[in-house]
Order: sequence, then C-alpha cells, then structure tokens
Amino acid sequence: MEMSGEYSIDAPIAEVWAALNDIEILKVCIPGCEELEQVSETEMTAKVALKIGPVKARFNGVVTFENITPPEGYSIVGEGQGGVAGFAKGGADVRLVEDGDKTVLTYQAKAQVGGKIAQLGSRLIKSTAAKLADKFFKNFRDALVAEVASA
Amino acid sequence: MYETKYHKASSVSEAVSLMGAADDGKLLSGGQTLLPTMKAHLAAPSDLVDVSGIAEMNGISVNDDIVTIGAATTHAEVAGNAALQKACAGVADLAANIGDPAVRHLGTIGGSIANNDPAADYPAALLALGATIKTNAREITADDFFVGLFETALNDDEVIVSISFEAPAKACYAKFPNPASRYALAGVFAALTTAGARVAVAGAGDDGVYRHADMEAALDGNWSADAILGVSVGADGMLSDMHGDAAYRANLVKVMAGRAVAGC
Repeated sequence: MEMSGEYSIDAPIAEVWAALNDIEILKVCIPGCEELEQVSETEMTAKVALKIGPVKARFNGVVTFENITPPEGYSIVGEGQGGVAGFAKGGADVRLVEDGDKTVLTYQAKAQVGGKIAQLGSRLIKSTAAKLADKFFKNFRDALVAEVASA
Repeated sequence: MYETKYHKASSVSEAVSLMGAADDGKLLSGGQTLLPTMKAHLAAPSDLVDVSGIAEMNGISVNDDIVTIGAATTHAEVAGNAALQKACAGVADLAANIGDPAVRHLGTIGGSIANNDPAADYPAALLALGATIKTNAREITADDFFVGLFETALNDDEVIVSISFEAPAKACYAKFPNPASRYALAGVFAALTTAGARVAVAGAGDDGVYRHADMEAALDGNWSADAILGVSVGADGMLSDMHGDAAYRANLVKVMAGRAVAGC
C-alpha cells in the first residue's frame, strides 16, 4: 500500500529540517504516540496505541532515519509488533523544497500490515493508513507553525 | 486469557458512573461488533458496561411528526414498529436489511452510530434526516456527530440515550450489499425534509459517511431519479478495496441514489 502527500509549511527550510529531527516534536505529531525514545542518532524506539473503531492495539517498534541529506530530506523507516493484533511496518521518503519563505514538504510512504488486524480490517486498512499519515504531517505543520509564531 | 468485568447498568446515570470508574471501560449494547473484536483479542477492555437493559434507552415513539428511537432499540424492533413504518418507512426498511437475523435481534441503533463503521447503514439515515443525537450530556446534530472513519463527536464515557428526527415528506434507502457481510458497498439515503433534499452516502467514502451536496442541489425542486442522472460522481475520495475499487463505488453511489429517489 502506497501513500503520498504534499504540504506547504509556513516556515523556512532550516526550521522544518530541525523539527523533522526533533524527537519532542515528532512525539506529539505521531497519532497515538505514547513513547518515543532516542536510542542513537538515527534510531528511536516507539510505543504507539492505535484505535480504529472497536480495535485497540498497542505497537512496540523501532524507527530509524536513513539516507539523511540535510536539509533536503531523509527516509524514515519503522517496524512495530502489536502482539496478537499483528505487525505493521513501513517507510516514508520525506523531501523538503524551499519556496520563498515557505517550505514544501512532500512524502511518499509505503506501509504493510499483517496478522489478525489485517485480516479483519482489510477493507479499511488503506483508508486508515492514509488518514494517519495525513494526520501526522498536518500535526507536524501545525506544531511547527505554532512554534515559529511563538518564537 | 485476560479478565473483563461485566456490569449491567439499570440507568443512564449508572452507566456513566460505571464508565467513569472503569480503568479502560467500554459500553456494550448489542455487541455485534465489539464481541467479535474481543474474541479476536483485538480489544481487551477492563470493564464492559451493558446498557441494553436501560428502560429510558429502549423503544420508539412518534409524537407530532417527531420520531424518537431509544439508543438500545434493536434493528428488528425498528424494522417491525408500526408507528415508525407509517411516519418514516425508509428507516424501518433500512433496519430490516441490516446484516442477518442474529445481528438485527441484538444489534442496536446506538451501537451502530457510536461505532460509525463507514459501511454501516444507520449513519446515512441519520445524516440525511438531519437527526439529533441525545446523550447523557448534550444534544448533537448528525452533521456534527459523524466526524470520520469510525470517529464521532462522542467523548469516551458519553452514552447515547436516543435519536430523534422529524418525519420527512419522503425518505428511502437503497444499498448494494456485500453478499457475504451485507455491509453496504455503497448505500444512499435520500430524504425530502423541511430543510430541503438531503442525501447521505454510506459504504463508499474513504472517510466514512458523507452528504452529497451536488445531488441535494439537483433534487431540490426536482425530486426525481432523472435529476440524479445529471450529477457526476467522481472516484476521488472513494474507498477502494478487494470488494470494489473507487471507480466502481462511485458508479454504485449514483445508481443507488437513483434507486433511493425512485423508491420514495
């Protein structure tokens, strides 16, 4: 399953890049994120609670940054285990392009879900994944704009 | 194995306080979605608060064109209610075609709308009828209630008490059911209300139930299946899955809308 999106962010590219590497910002932007801990410069562990209708699953996973080219972008790759619910893994290529005072963020993501959660929710996984991805980048844009405004 | 505590609430206020006291509580009505999910270990609430026996949440009344349905009223009760069949047969017919007999005799209208499964039928009816959802705390219009895929305006321990709407001049629901689950691949509820024509679509939109503004505009002043023919329904924003892709669903929405209008 593949998803993509584009967001215009009202902040200079350097600030957007810094935020993309700021674990505290990422933590508040990831929908359902309960814990995000830095393990090394490029690796984090995450605990994410996913609630879709009656389903409630908690995923424990590892998130890593790859192909880092400041300030143009990176790839973010994650994999999580949700116990009996199954597993989720995926990655996104995030690109930043300067647009005057603004920054255009584009992403292309791939995600894979397996186990019980995939069997039960196959008709909805794609919409849900797309919605979560959109929520993340919208949260990210809003958090960044709020930070720039208050600075 | 995991433990779940079962509580049977006898009033709305008792249900609210049981939910407030629970660590990770879940309201149980007919259990037609929640129990299979728990059996699959995809949900493990610490407490279940059963609201199905609460008197003020059961039954159907029609007073001066205002229909009120208790949240714990089963689909079978809605389908078989004579007063409702007279006031708004479209809703009774919709209930008669939800799932299978087991689902209809246990599943409830409140459970269905609280879950807001994008393929459930009731959300389309409530949205098209401009219904009001009454909870223990407030009244919410259907337009504000259905937020998105499985999302509603409800707070975690808020209990739906009843649903009410004004009997429409015309109302009909047409759905193309998945032959196995009978969930709507696309379902359209069309209603001619005092606020004009209202059309809501279930099963097809990738962010859950939604109103179709172009169809409503076309039907205002020209309530006929022909009015639907001139409306274009795009594949953008449609669900796409193994049962049908976005373009197929877009076409189904148009066909079902025509049938719903013609069926009134």
